[in-house]
Amino acid sequence: MKLPKKESSSEIPTSSMADIAFLLIIFFMVTAVFSATKGLEFKLPKDDNKPPEQEEAVFIRVGADESVLVDCKPMELDEILPYLEPKLLRNPEKPVILYTDASAPYKAMIAVYDVLGSAKKESHGYKVKNISVPTQSEVQEYIQLFGTNPFEGQCG
Amino acid sequence: MRLTRSSKAGAVIPTASMADIAFLLIIFFMVTTVHDVDRTSVNLPLAKSREEAEKGSALVVLARDKFGDLYYMFSDGKNMSHAVNGPQDIYHEASALTYSYPGMQFILKADATARFEIIDELLDTLRKADVQKVLLLCQQKTEGSG
Repeated sequence: MKLPKKESSSEIPTSSMADIAFLLIIFFMVTAVFSATKGLEFKLPKDDNKPPEQEEAVFIRVGADESVLVDCKPMELDEILPYLEPKLLRNPEKPVILYTDASAPYKAMIAVYDVLGSAKKESHGYKVKNISVPTQSEVQEYIQLFGTNPFEGQCG
Repeated sequence: MRLTRSSKAGAVIPTASMADIAFLLIIFFMVTTVHDVDRTSVNLPLAKSREEAEKGSALVVLARDKFGDLYYMFSDGKNMSHAVNGPQDIYHEASALTYSYPGMQFILKADATARFEIIDELLDTLRKADVQKVLLLCQQKTEGSG
């Protein structure tokens, strides 16, 4: 007896391809997180006990009410860079101390830090390279050295 | 005169390009997906001049719960973030990381309305743990925002 020959299909079955693909899409859509991974770079000083060097710095104070004093003069955020420009053109390494009141909101400090940081990117012809944000333990070290908090008494 | 139908309209929806479209979407999601180590919702401060965080950075989170109370989370950059009790725990975790990976970047993801003294305490804690590079995570500031 002769067996009938079965004809095999020469096509690759692709009908389930779209199903698999859409399953993968759903997986990626569910697990995807478009995360915010951008921010302001901040360098912390080393935790050594070296005494601070004395040098005239620009002093910026952020108050509890989010007010900003630059060298004891009240200023708006957009006035800070024009004030710093001549000082930084004379001395590009000019230190800028950003002191924030303990009860001020974090966003107020970030707003000022952002203004200082923006000089790095924009073509101002100068950079604020040397920003110092003294922490409370550094303030305590200053108090041990000088007897008083030099940042609190700055503007009378 | 009776008109004859010249052609029969096909009843089949053409699906040949479906797989192409689907694979394009897959590639898009594969490229843009980030499997984040932290999914805590935090009201971040706004900033214009932001920089990209280094990959694999450790993460310190200071967020508010639904009652408005602050709580801390920590991630070593590889594993999902977990709750920690406070700066003391963060100090231990951060010290261990900086011992193994000196120069590692730490991301500070903190609530914009937190009092600065809490941020200050965190920065001090990180400084004592020999952390030198910190990225203060911010949201993009656009014209008219905040």
